[in-house]
Amino acid sequence: MHSRPRLTTWLYLSPLHLLLLAILTAPSVYVFWLSLNESSYGTGLTFVGLDNYRMVFSDPYFWRAAVNTFFVVNGVVYVELVVALALATQFAAGVPLRGAMFACILMPYAISEVVAVLVWKMMMDPSVGAIARTIEGMGFGMLNWSASPTIGLTLVGVINVWTHLPFTFLMLYAGLLAIDPSLYEAAQIDGATRWQRFTRITLPLLVPTILIALIFRLIFAFRMFSEVWLLTKGGPARLSEVLAVYLYQHGFRYGDFGIASATGWLMVLGSLLLASVFLFAMQRSMRGA
Amino acid sequence: MRSRLSLPARLARGLFLAVMLAWSVGPILFIVMSSFKRQVDIFVYPPKLVFTPTIDNYLKLTTQWKGFFDAMGNSLIVALGATVLAGVVSFLGGYAYSRYRSRLTLWTAVYMIAVRVLPPIVVTLPLFPVVDRLGLGDTHILLVLLYATFWVSLNTMIMKNFFDQIPYELDEAAYVDGASEWQLVHRILARLTLQGMAAGSIFVFVFAWNEYLFAMIFTTNRAKTAPLILSELMGAVDGTEWGVLFAGVTLQLVPVVLLVTLARRYLIAGLAAGAVKG
Repeated sequence: MHSRPRLTTWLYLSPLHLLLLAILTAPSVYVFWLSLNESSYGTGLTFVGLDNYRMVFSDPYFWRAAVNTFFVVNGVVYVELVVALALATQFAAGVPLRGAMFACILMPYAISEVVAVLVWKMMMDPSVGAIARTIEGMGFGMLNWSASPTIGLTLVGVINVWTHLPFTFLMLYAGLLAIDPSLYEAAQIDGATRWQRFTRITLPLLVPTILIALIFRLIFAFRMFSEVWLLTKGGPARLSEVLAVYLYQHGFRYGDFGIASATGWLMVLGSLLLASVFLFAMQRSMRGA
Repeated sequence: MRSRLSLPARLARGLFLAVMLAWSVGPILFIVMSSFKRQVDIFVYPPKLVFTPTIDNYLKLTTQWKGFFDAMGNSLIVALGATVLAGVVSFLGGYAYSRYRSRLTLWTAVYMIAVRVLPPIVVTLPLFPVVDRLGLGDTHILLVLLYATFWVSLNTMIMKNFFDQIPYELDEAAYVDGASEWQLVHRILARLTLQGMAAGSIFVFVFAWNEYLFAMIFTTNRAKTAPLILSELMGAVDGTEWGVLFAGVTLQLVPVVLLVTLARRYLIAGLAAGAVKG
């Protein structure tokens, strides 16, 4: 039962939309204007049209950051989704000491990215880290992530999965709980195997949740900054930068607001593109409900 | 009861759960244990699981790094502030979106979710000079505003779904009894949506307590939060002070780990309402 909005309705909505307008919308629109201008600390704006975008697109470091972002985001998100799905189905089927196990799996959600980087850095330190030395002891060689951008970014991915797995797991688990248990009982009476029940009931009914979890994680991984900045500072030789780090370097280190804003606006477009699927679905479900 | 698994399947399942357990808890245990170790024991390989605990690191933390406790205070102020602000804002917004509908409310709701996907680092660029001019640089209030804003969208959706579960007849009954809309909202509905508020609050609190990027860009001294100071110490410590750093990290993480594990019921309820249904 819904009423038509009244004047007071907008009063209830105004704090929400004032915050969004002041902190998100207005600044992002202004970033677009900044991206069409050249400016730095203490200088005025000089309109340069699309020059900043041209410079960004011809900068090999930008492409390096874009490719790094692409690989890290995709690597992280799909691995995480599969593990979270396996974990969620195990919990839905029942595990021993469920409450305690659940609490343990959730713990990394409470950990700051700063702390996550710190502890993985310690454990993976080539000379003193426990995990790094175990890997070396098993004959896989020394993992020198500060010298190799590939190993560095892999470690970034590991840290990112570590901190975000609980969130994805929770979302999928909440989705699993919403599935009607009588479906499983009926399938069991009909003699369906465990695997058949998973592929014929669980997966199809979970698809909307999986899709939302996927988009959430794509968007969050896309903006990744802290892990890279705290672990490698984008090095060696700017080879492990991701887009957010590239933006930060240009905006806050080199004081080149035009380039930084152009990168920022490209990131906005990328995020909106990723989110459009979700927004489309949401708009339809709100209209339908 | 589900059908019984074969022995190899049960073993595989047990192994999987054991690995996930070690993966999740191992690093946290490493930090907490190291904070109680003597300097020479921290990097012993293979790591010692049994050792004589010492609180030296914590004592050193209180005497040498007083700034850390100021930062913990800042983190608490900022996290509580953001939680309250986001709570009030999403409560009001969730009510409006649950009870009223038109083409315009629909589009503002879509817009509300759409802006949430903007990468935080993008807004730092234009906000930086503005914040300076308004005298908001290095203040608690700025971080409160930033952190709350990044959660009001999802929390409003969560609250909307909790409001949706309260039958509209209740509103009508209250109006018949002569209640005003505001009385209905803050006297009756507020009490019935507490679970939703709890769920949303945990998301905001954990985010604000742990956030790094905004804290790094917008605070320099007075409003510095704990994660920021830990990141600085991490870069600055030389070989002899790892134990002290681990003591600080332990103090920073224990309260939120407890919060998350104790309130897991609300986290599930919140995600079920906000994301899965939304």
